[in-house]
Amino acid sequence: MAVSISRSNRSGLRPATIALPALLFVALSFLSPAFLSVQNLSNINGQIAALLIVSLGQLAVALIGGIDLSVGAALSLTTTIIVSVNPDFALAAALFAGVAIGLVNGIGVTVAGVHPLIMTMASMTFLQGLALLIHPVPGGTVPDYIAGLAWTSASGVPAAFFWCAGAVAIASFLLSMTRFGLRLFAIGASQASAARNGIPVKWYSVGCYVICSVAATIAGIFISARVSAGDATVGAPFALDSITAIAMGGVQLAGGTGSVAGVVLGTITLGLLTNGMNLVGISPFLRTAATGVLLLLAISMQRRNVIGV
Amino acid sequence: MTTHSLPTAACRSIVRLFSSVPFAYAGTAALLAFAYVTRPALVSPVLLLLIVRQAAPLAIAVLGQSLCMRVLSLDLSIGGVILAVSYILTSGILRLPEPILLTICVLFGVAVGAVNAFLITRIRASSVIVTLATALILSGVVFSFSQLRAPGEAPTILRYLGQTKIGIMPISPLVWLALFVPLALFLRMSVFGRYVDAIGANPRAALISGIPYIRIVTVAHILSSLFAVFSGFVLVGFVGAGSLDIGRDLPLSSLVAVILGGVTFGSGKGGSLGPAVAAFMLTFSFNLLTSLGIGEPGKLMLQGAIIALAATRRSSH
Amino acid sequence: MITPTAHSPPGNALVAFRSVNKSFGSTRALVDLSLQGSPGSVHAITGENGAGKSTLMHLLAGVHQPDSGEIRVRGQAVRIENPAQAQRAGISTIFQELTVLPNLTVAENLFLGREPHRAGIIDRLLMRRRAKQALDLVKCRVDVNTYCQTLSVAEQQLIEIAKGLMADAEVFILDEPTAALNGPEVDTLGELIHSLKAAGKLIFYISHRLEEIFRFSETVSVLKDGRLVGTFPTSELTQDRLISLMVGRPLGQLFPPRDPNPRDLGRALEISELVPSDTERAVSLAINRGEILGFAGLQGQGQREIIRAVAGVGPHVRGRVIKLSPDNRVQRVDLASVDVARSGIGFVPEDRKSEGLYLSLSIEQNVALGMLRQLALWRRARVRKSGIDDLLLRMRVRSHDQAQPVSSLSGGNQQKVMLGRWLASGVDVLLVEEPTRGVDVGAKSEIYALLREFANSGGAVLIVSSELTEILGLCDRILVVREGEITAELDGVAASEEEIMRYALAGAAAEASGEL
Repeated sequence: MAVSISRSNRSGLRPATIALPALLFVALSFLSPAFLSVQNLSNINGQIAALLIVSLGQLAVALIGGIDLSVGAALSLTTTIIVSVNPDFALAAALFAGVAIGLVNGIGVTVAGVHPLIMTMASMTFLQGLALLIHPVPGGTVPDYIAGLAWTSASGVPAAFFWCAGAVAIASFLLSMTRFGLRLFAIGASQASAARNGIPVKWYSVGCYVICSVAATIAGIFISARVSAGDATVGAPFALDSITAIAMGGVQLAGGTGSVAGVVLGTITLGLLTNGMNLVGISPFLRTAATGVLLLLAISMQRRNVIGV
Repeated sequence: MTTHSLPTAACRSIVRLFSSVPFAYAGTAALLAFAYVTRPALVSPVLLLLIVRQAAPLAIAVLGQSLCMRVLSLDLSIGGVILAVSYILTSGILRLPEPILLTICVLFGVAVGAVNAFLITRIRASSVIVTLATALILSGVVFSFSQLRAPGEAPTILRYLGQTKIGIMPISPLVWLALFVPLALFLRMSVFGRYVDAIGANPRAALISGIPYIRIVTVAHILSSLFAVFSGFVLVGFVGAGSLDIGRDLPLSSLVAVILGGVTFGSGKGGSLGPAVAAFMLTFSFNLLTSLGIGEPGKLMLQGAIIALAATRRSSH
Repeated sequence: MITPTAHSPPGNALVAFRSVNKSFGSTRALVDLSLQGSPGSVHAITGENGAGKSTLMHLLAGVHQPDSGEIRVRGQAVRIENPAQAQRAGISTIFQELTVLPNLTVAENLFLGREPHRAGIIDRLLMRRRAKQALDLVKCRVDVNTYCQTLSVAEQQLIEIAKGLMADAEVFILDEPTAALNGPEVDTLGELIHSLKAAGKLIFYISHRLEEIFRFSETVSVLKDGRLVGTFPTSELTQDRLISLMVGRPLGQLFPPRDPNPRDLGRALEISELVPSDTERAVSLAINRGEILGFAGLQGQGQREIIRAVAGVGPHVRGRVIKLSPDNRVQRVDLASVDVARSGIGFVPEDRKSEGLYLSLSIEQNVALGMLRQLALWRRARVRKSGIDDLLLRMRVRSHDQAQPVSSLSGGNQQKVMLGRWLASGVDVLLVEEPTRGVDVGAKSEIYALLREFANSGGAVLIVSSELTEILGLCDRILVVREGEITAELDGVAASEEEIMRYALAGAAAEASGEL
């Protein structure tokens, strides 16, 4: 069993998880006058919205002890689908693709027994190629109704906020109120025990991968609206970023521990760091390097018994 | 004993022979045959030698990747290492004589390998995530530095290695050979090599019976980064200049080549030669795909499919 | 010789096993076993290690299926394919291994898989209320909202019991339910069992705790080597009689002769104050050169934890192991597998397939790995093939070709190859778990001979075995382990099965037979 509980709960939240974003927020408000402006805060909101949605999907998979590296490529693929198919079917096609990707990943991991990292790395590569095939160069037109979804504000609150709020609400509901959510924690703690209690572990696992890919797809719809284009490489950072975000939010990659709050906090931390580095004037490439360091730090704090993949 | 048992037995042993030989050999033959029909120009000896030269960096990187895979780990930081090496060598950021630059690159490779190994063996983080993160850090740093100084021309030594030929034979595959032979012999004959076989066959038993597991995986990763450095040397020499695109596809291609070459997680059935043949085959197939009009996207889709299929086959055994 | 009586418990049979056979590989776990249990009774099932108690109950619980014979529930022949079916058939099992999930609360654990809900949304209030009721029944005062990670083993066991009792079952299987419980908790369990009995339920009670068998059950079935020795009314037995029913086998000619007056060659290993984990106690012992020392006792009493801690394969909290060489050099051994091997101590694990052998490698490669033990990584793997040939010949490993993979060998030959790897490596101390598990009789005696030869040439051997005959036949000295502590040290030649069992069984047994 690969669970480690701190403070007698399964959220994985530690004082640092909450302190870090809070400290960052305070530090940044001092360091940069532009930080607290409405424009900037709204920017941050928009920037992390997609990451939050992807990370919540990643949470589902991480809770059962899996991982999904293909979320970035799925996101990119979605943006290319949206600008390439008949606008009436764009949303449906995108969601269909999300479900299909999730099914392939899930079946590969549960039925064919492929290691999640390998399986999702394979699908990531394949989907990246597919996205480049459909739409090699960024561009294209996003249907108006989709663009509207991402840009319309209601009473001064930007659309991005509603996307975030909606995702968080759905995820919290599923995780803390339903049988499905509870059983995810059980599966993450011990597949054998869960099965012995009558839980169809394989179905739940496939379901988690589908949730993850669909989340990536939804994030892709949002992004395509935000940047008004289909871009086959826009999603690439999201894979490692979502893992960083959930790891920083206290989610154990071995399964059984995690929370929506943690994912939100982790995403905010990552978003604040990126925004902060931006404001301070650090080159975007150094930012990427910094997120790499952050990822290493975050996974160093996870408990694992295996040497290797 | 009926008389028609002999052909059946022969058939069965032929099938067994084919399925035990790594896919790379059959695959290369099939590819060459296919190319002969569709794009005969590709099958000329001159072009084939060029492809061999083009495949050399991949073959060198494959040496390290196959070692990692045999101890159930992976190194996806190869691309980052090559990028860094290319930058150190060509940007002029360090104004030092060429041999010293080369030495610095070698030491750099050892350092990266050691960091990877530490995180994987002591912290026990996943090797996929660790090496992807390392690659991210390296490429981020190189890209930001290159805003100040762009990559430039390759050192003369390397241009010699990467571009010259002895007669019709390019030198770079000989570099591969110079690395391959000692490594293969070392793995075959040394205690280290035997322990690698053991870890691949049953990691739990290896751990329990007192085999120095951590040290072996550490050496594997250091060697992998080292081979990435050498691969970078040849690549930079071949291209003639540093670039920000250099070696980007190598981590994935090396993984695919190793799989096609018969080395899957924990087994070394393909020996050491299989992955090299697969490196050639893969490079050839990329050229073929490009000539057929399916470039980068096709490459990626093919590689993704291969990894998934190979991993499925392995798990089902 | 006691003639087993076919005692029929009163009433109709609720559950009946008829000529049930079950084998795992070449091991026959249950042989032609027939017994039945009636409603409104507590039916104890007891016997030594490997007698088949758990296997029998696993058949009823749906974990395994019989190879032949039938199981009847309420007169109907049934085939129980999985635990869910067992539950539907009205059978509730409380397993010995704790299965509560640490990251779920008590209430969630109790209702996992059958959570009260409205359209998928868990009705937490109802769940909590029912959970509290279930806990009240076993008089467990834990808050149902606590996460099970923080509970003690005893509390977890009470929750397992509560969960099992919650089921609306007619047959209850309790497998060692009191292992972690204290006196008052056992009393509570006793009351529960009593009320279940009064409600007409059948309770199968698997236990080694003789005083509980006498206290709770009115029928007891004794198993030995997979067969039924007999089913008796508990009132007609005494503890001594019960023990003698469980043991009693001729030793046979399997074992090489032991020296009744062994020379004192000095100590090989000194283990002081070793604590395998936070829940275990400190253990100290010494292994001498030239001797085969055995850990005897019931399974799961801590022997495995101790030997694995010494081997550096399992965890340890504290402890010191010192190795003494023949020329009296003292060496502190670091409790990690690499250092243990380097110090000249070899660990032979119980599960040779998953932990001991490299199945896909050849015989020669497996043995050769041992020979490399003292060489540095970069050195040439110089292995004398003739040395391997000699060893294999000496061990009588029958195979045509050294190059064939170990997976193709028989169990006995595989075990010998695993042992041979250490023999070839030049270690002088062997720690062996279950030396002849899954090994046929012929290979058994060959392995015993190898171990004796190893000891005779100055080596030291510690074996952990659940087979009493093996301990009695092979060992020079026996340490009986119970609940993580060494409760007795016996002379290997002079000891008897009864004596060992008495020290191995918990509580009143040892006191009743004469230590008071």
